[in-house]
Amino acid sequence: MNRYYYYSFLYVLLINIMMFVPNILIQNRFTGGVSSMLLAIPFGTMLVLVFSSSMTKFPGKAVPEILYERYPRWFVTPVMWVLASIYLLGSIIVLVAFSVVINRFYNPDTSSTIVLYLLIAACIYCATRTTLSLLFILEMLIIINAPLVVFVLGKALFTSDLDWDAMHTVANYVTVKPNLDSFAAATYIFSGYLNLSILNRALPPNFRLKHRWIIPLVGTLAMFTSVFIPIGFHGTEGVDEYLFIWSITADSMKMEFGFIERVLFLYLILYLNLTLLFTTFGWHKAMEFLKSTSKSYKPELDADKTPILNWVICGSFGLLTIIYSIVVDEKQNYNIAGKWLVIRFFTEVISAIWIFWLAYRVRSKSKSKSKINVKEQTESK
Amino acid sequence: MINRILTMFAEAKDLITKRLRNDDTYIEIAYIDSLCDESKISEAIFVPFSRNQKPFQEIVEFSSEFKPVHEMTEWTSSLLRGYVLVHINGKYYSYDASRNIRIETQTTQVESSIQGPQLALTEDLKDGLNLIRNRYPEPSLAVEERTLGTVSKTRIAILFDNRKVNSKVLKNVQKKLLEINSDMLHSAGEVVRELVGNRKQLFPTTLISERPDRISNSIAQGKIVILMHGSMFGIILPVTFFDLMNSMDDQYEGFWMSRTLLIMRYFSVLLTVTLPAMYISIVSYNPELFRVQLAFSIAGSRSAVPYPSFIEVLVMLFMIEMLVEASVRLPRYIGSTGTTVGGLILGQAAQQAGLVSSIMIIVTSVVAITNFVIPNNAMAFAIRFLKYPLILLAVFYGITGVCIGMFIYFVYLSSIRSFGVPYFRLHGKLTRSAEGDLGQVSST
Repeated sequence: MNRYYYYSFLYVLLINIMMFVPNILIQNRFTGGVSSMLLAIPFGTMLVLVFSSSMTKFPGKAVPEILYERYPRWFVTPVMWVLASIYLLGSIIVLVAFSVVINRFYNPDTSSTIVLYLLIAACIYCATRTTLSLLFILEMLIIINAPLVVFVLGKALFTSDLDWDAMHTVANYVTVKPNLDSFAAATYIFSGYLNLSILNRALPPNFRLKHRWIIPLVGTLAMFTSVFIPIGFHGTEGVDEYLFIWSITADSMKMEFGFIERVLFLYLILYLNLTLLFTTFGWHKAMEFLKSTSKSYKPELDADKTPILNWVICGSFGLLTIIYSIVVDEKQNYNIAGKWLVIRFFTEVISAIWIFWLAYRVRSKSKSKSKINVKEQTESK
Repeated sequence: MINRILTMFAEAKDLITKRLRNDDTYIEIAYIDSLCDESKISEAIFVPFSRNQKPFQEIVEFSSEFKPVHEMTEWTSSLLRGYVLVHINGKYYSYDASRNIRIETQTTQVESSIQGPQLALTEDLKDGLNLIRNRYPEPSLAVEERTLGTVSKTRIAILFDNRKVNSKVLKNVQKKLLEINSDMLHSAGEVVRELVGNRKQLFPTTLISERPDRISNSIAQGKIVILMHGSMFGIILPVTFFDLMNSMDDQYEGFWMSRTLLIMRYFSVLLTVTLPAMYISIVSYNPELFRVQLAFSIAGSRSAVPYPSFIEVLVMLFMIEMLVEASVRLPRYIGSTGTTVGGLILGQAAQQAGLVSSIMIIVTSVVAITNFVIPNNAMAFAIRFLKYPLILLAVFYGITGVCIGMFIYFVYLSSIRSFGVPYFRLHGKLTRSAEGDLGQVSST
């Protein structure tokens, strides 16, 4: 079942564009962005491996179950609230950003709030589904969208408009000291592993993470393409001027053959799917965290009937999104995304270390147990 | 016995009761004339009884065709199935003399295949079992018989391979069969509706098939098959979306072309669902999506059309749906007239009159033809419906709406379970390896 793990890794990796990760890195391109990226690769990979291999010590258990089993309720419940709100905020940022993108590039005549309402309605429906159904959707959509990703990337890499010199120039700033903002943003590329905190329920008990080399490889590739391709298209200075940098970059490409001329449309369809997927998963995770705080909660992977609680929670998420979109404008959304990335970075590190410690204790316990068993056996002999 | 039977039944002319006596025995028989084959009765009962070469009681006791009846409650039900009741020396026996009227042609009509077997199930349960037993000669094939419907008392048989069947699914199906509480059940479709329970389910979660080869293949895959007396169709369950998109020919023909056809089939599903909606959203929202020349030619062909694109689409779709609907129900002789008239009106006149654009005619015909590609009838109906909500979304949101609608369809498909089995799940090689499957820990 490794593929499901990698799918969930992949969609988060691709959504980094809607999360303004390239913007933050591009802003810091002369002030430590490149070195932060380089540093983020080993660090991010390490987090992924530590967290994932620790989670396999708890087969079939998600983070709420693991924590509630070991700590008192009053201590864990606030933690769940914090985790839920971080996931919720992340999805809201992406959703609001994308509704603005649609308004800018697709339907300039429709207001972005109307589009946002439809997106919210879709996400409410999708996030209330069961965890198992979401995994199937994930697989389907990744497989459907993978050709689009490959196409847009290939188009970008092989066009003659790409200015490799500009990229060289920016890459030469590798010696500048890294800073926290860009480092946190760059590690976001690897943050798909956190899906395991809920999806671990679905994974089989004998799950072992194979093909670990994929993680640094794909992460590096995604990070560098999402930052350097816009630089290649718009030049070292011009790249700074756009908020939705990748939409503009996709619009700089042209398809000579076929019905559609502008790559932008393919790109937008792709990111519409990814945004919906990301928000669905984000809300689903937040919902599961919130549900776990109730005493009578039983984790259910594939319930026959959708509980009304799901609708209530996701409905209120939708309401929060609407309020957010009214209160916050585009610029603020961008700034909040930057702060969110930093906060998320710290929670990620803390939770990875925490779960690692718990897994370590479990392992040492089982080891000491087996030692005792061996002793008993030898004594009985 | 006869007096009791006469009190049980309403006055019926075809209920025959006789008291017979020969040299040493006295018997009473009862049967319903219209359900029985008289020659069978005289061969088995009247002739040996009157000749009396052997005591009739011995014949009855030795022959396996006479089955002892122990309960009085069984009398009516066996009489109503075309059995003859025999009362001899205080014991009761039933003899099957039923006469079934059925269509004799056994070639496939609904799911035709080019070079596959041409034999179809018949309306007789026994023949159906015979066909499947012949194709699946395994001792592990289990056959359970039941009756469904409080009035119609339709006999059904549940077939599955004992070793391969998923016991969870089997229990689920058996439970649901017991829960069926309906008077009359005549077609496989009714049984399916009762089984699935959710009346508003859009996609079929069972496969109704008339092909014995398909049924035996499914049994070999561990699926459960329900055969019905009086229906030419068997019900296969649980099925996935991909089973319903498969035709039998895919397994009989060469690898490359059948795979290519399969891919084209999925592509045509995509077309039939999205094309009308895409037409609306491209013409009315994003004409710049297409390259300039194409955008111009679409706009040019629409120049004579006085109303917005969605009215055009709705008019044309209404026409084509009516055409399809009419040609299904019409007798063969008139059918061709209908299609010619409809085709001419849709194809030429409507466009020349400036009611619709010529591109719209292409869109309509593509939508209709691609829908016919879907091999399963129930699936084709479900997919035929899918385009309408998308049209609504396209009217208000353009391409964004269509994409979001498609996303919701995918989510809906993934959340369907066919008797507990995921409906829309890709099975890669990984699932078959030693590695565990999803959801093992919580289900146990």
